[in-house]
Amino acid sequence: MIRGINVLLLITSIFALVGVYSIKFQSETIEEQKMELSRSIAQQQAELSVLQADWAFFSQPSYIAPIVERHGEALNLQILVADQYGSIEDIPMRPEIINDSALTALFAALDEGIDPIGDILAEGMGQ
Amino acid sequence: MSMYGAEIDGPIALEGGKKSRKNLTDGRLRLVIVFLILAFFAIGGRMVVLGISQGTDQAKEIARSVAALARPTITDRNGRNLAMDILVPSLYASPRQIIDLDEAVEKLSAELPDIDREWLRDKLDGDEGFVWIKREMSPAAQERIFNLGIPGINFRTESKRYYPGRNIAAHVLGSVNVDNQGISGMERYLDSDEFAMVRLATGANPSDPVKLSIDLRVQYALQAELADALERYQAIAAAGVIIDVATGEVLALSSLPDYDPNIAASALEEGRFNRITAGTFELGSTFKTVTMAAALDSGVVVITDEFDAREPIRFGRYTIDDYRGKRRILTLPEVYKYSSNIGTIRVMQTLGKENYRAFLTRAGFDDPLAIELPETKLSSIPHEFSDVGAATASFGHGLSVTPLHMATAVAGFVNDGIMVPATLLMRTQSEANALGKRIISAETSAQIRYLMRLNALEGSGRRMNRIAEGYMVGGKTGTADKVVDGRYDTSKNFTAFASAFPMDNPKYAMVILVDEPKRENEQTGTTAGWNAGEITGRVVQRIAPALGIMPNFSEISEEALVPIVLRNLPEGN
Repeated sequence: MIRGINVLLLITSIFALVGVYSIKFQSETIEEQKMELSRSIAQQQAELSVLQADWAFFSQPSYIAPIVERHGEALNLQILVADQYGSIEDIPMRPEIINDSALTALFAALDEGIDPIGDILAEGMGQ
Repeated sequence: MSMYGAEIDGPIALEGGKKSRKNLTDGRLRLVIVFLILAFFAIGGRMVVLGISQGTDQAKEIARSVAALARPTITDRNGRNLAMDILVPSLYASPRQIIDLDEAVEKLSAELPDIDREWLRDKLDGDEGFVWIKREMSPAAQERIFNLGIPGINFRTESKRYYPGRNIAAHVLGSVNVDNQGISGMERYLDSDEFAMVRLATGANPSDPVKLSIDLRVQYALQAELADALERYQAIAAAGVIIDVATGEVLALSSLPDYDPNIAASALEEGRFNRITAGTFELGSTFKTVTMAAALDSGVVVITDEFDAREPIRFGRYTIDDYRGKRRILTLPEVYKYSSNIGTIRVMQTLGKENYRAFLTRAGFDDPLAIELPETKLSSIPHEFSDVGAATASFGHGLSVTPLHMATAVAGFVNDGIMVPATLLMRTQSEANALGKRIISAETSAQIRYLMRLNALEGSGRRMNRIAEGYMVGGKTGTADKVVDGRYDTSKNFTAFASAFPMDNPKYAMVILVDEPKRENEQTGTTAGWNAGEITGRVVQRIAPALGIMPNFSEISEEALVPIVLRNLPEGN
């Protein structure tokens, strides 16, 4: 029986040995991957910081203003003056009575069987 | 066995002895096994604990070292970057490890055309372990050189403080030294214990961005107009500050000539100090607003009172006269509008010089500036006024204050009498309410708004008002002779304009200064209305739309502020 237990223990320890070593190697691989990832994160952060700096620089009013000045004439840009501002209240409401007499006349003519547009088209075809 | 056999009878005793020994051994074995199992679990458990705790400790350590290196990004109130860290790769070589020198020089100089080939060969040839090839290069160039795969060529990432706006808000931001420590401006404040406490209270990380109250658009407009003024009036310096009257937040602060914080040494050149907080000046007639506020708030003087401005006032050997005096009896609004020194002295005398001195303390002129910048200066005001001292002080001579003191006081005068200390950090209205201090009554505030607007319509602010028509700016000019070798030099002016807008519901206060302005052309003058006033008008016209203030040409709002019955047509000038 003791021999049986011994064999069992031997097998277990071999498995344990294999298991421990595989875990060791696995963790080393993961460690390497982690290092690689953090290196690439650091590099991307560095690139990002430079891109953000670029964006901040190119969107500065002090950078854009001279460009606007240079092309102001070609684009007909003018500085907005105070009396060019308006408010919604300044816009007149839509006129209440719509002048639709022409349309009414057209429909009336159509009702009577005369088609002025058709006539014009026919005249054009005839010539 | 025979020996035993002779003494002990039968094999049972032998068996019993064997058994008892076996039992004893089994017991001991069991004990050892149990002990070993316990030890195994103890060691196993300890390993698990170590495995978990060590990992987190390491992570914390890394996080801490990263945080210690980085400075927080500084942004304006709309989140646009004003100062930031950039991580830039620098190229270095270990000449000892270079195998093929010719190949390395060939490949590198193809990628770095601005580097001298001979210099590079000289650097790479040798037995050193470390030489810099190029500091601070672009990530794209780094990638290309990395891909060349030259042995002995490596990169090191360095953190560098970068100010994308260059001179924009230079005096606000300050600068850092080579070790990335703040040496001036907000950069220095960010390293202070005071700011660490603020951060702790709000629970923010040390590396979180810091939002300033500065508005980049307003700052740029102010700076551009001041730069224009330096050229236009051939002045030696110009400065300005714009603050939110309700919260005390500084929207823009500029003092020209300024410097580029990317080149920290340029800040040290002569005359580049921050005139708004670190310079004290005799602000001249802009102080008449203070005198009027003091007198009207005391109740001793009412706005309809009249003052004799027919004769110059004599104090022993001193005589004080008006600039283009009217030589008649003036009402209080006329005293203000014509900027009568005589009238203002009479107003101050009616109030009493002790009361006037006490009011200056109440309006914060004696306090050190509350602003976060380390570069501040204390006002210089006599503790007790003599008769002549009080007289000159009433129109802003013989006492000097920083322009920010004046801007804060003017903001308080127009903000229904509540003065909020100035800040460069974001502040909510409720925080401002807790800090605000009443310096004059709401009724006096309304009268001051009337006086300031009247001066823009009919007095020395007319040229300003013509430029910023529609934004209802009100303000007071101040022109002082500069002191040269202890004497006032009448040929050298120092001009100021203290204003607020829109006067029907004041939102922003502004102070503009110009040091030694010259005439723009033959038809113009050198007094404040011609330069500081016009600059104010141009700045308002540019920034008001950005700040969401709509132009208002309504005669009703104007009438409510300055009733037509109280208006006069300007006389001659």
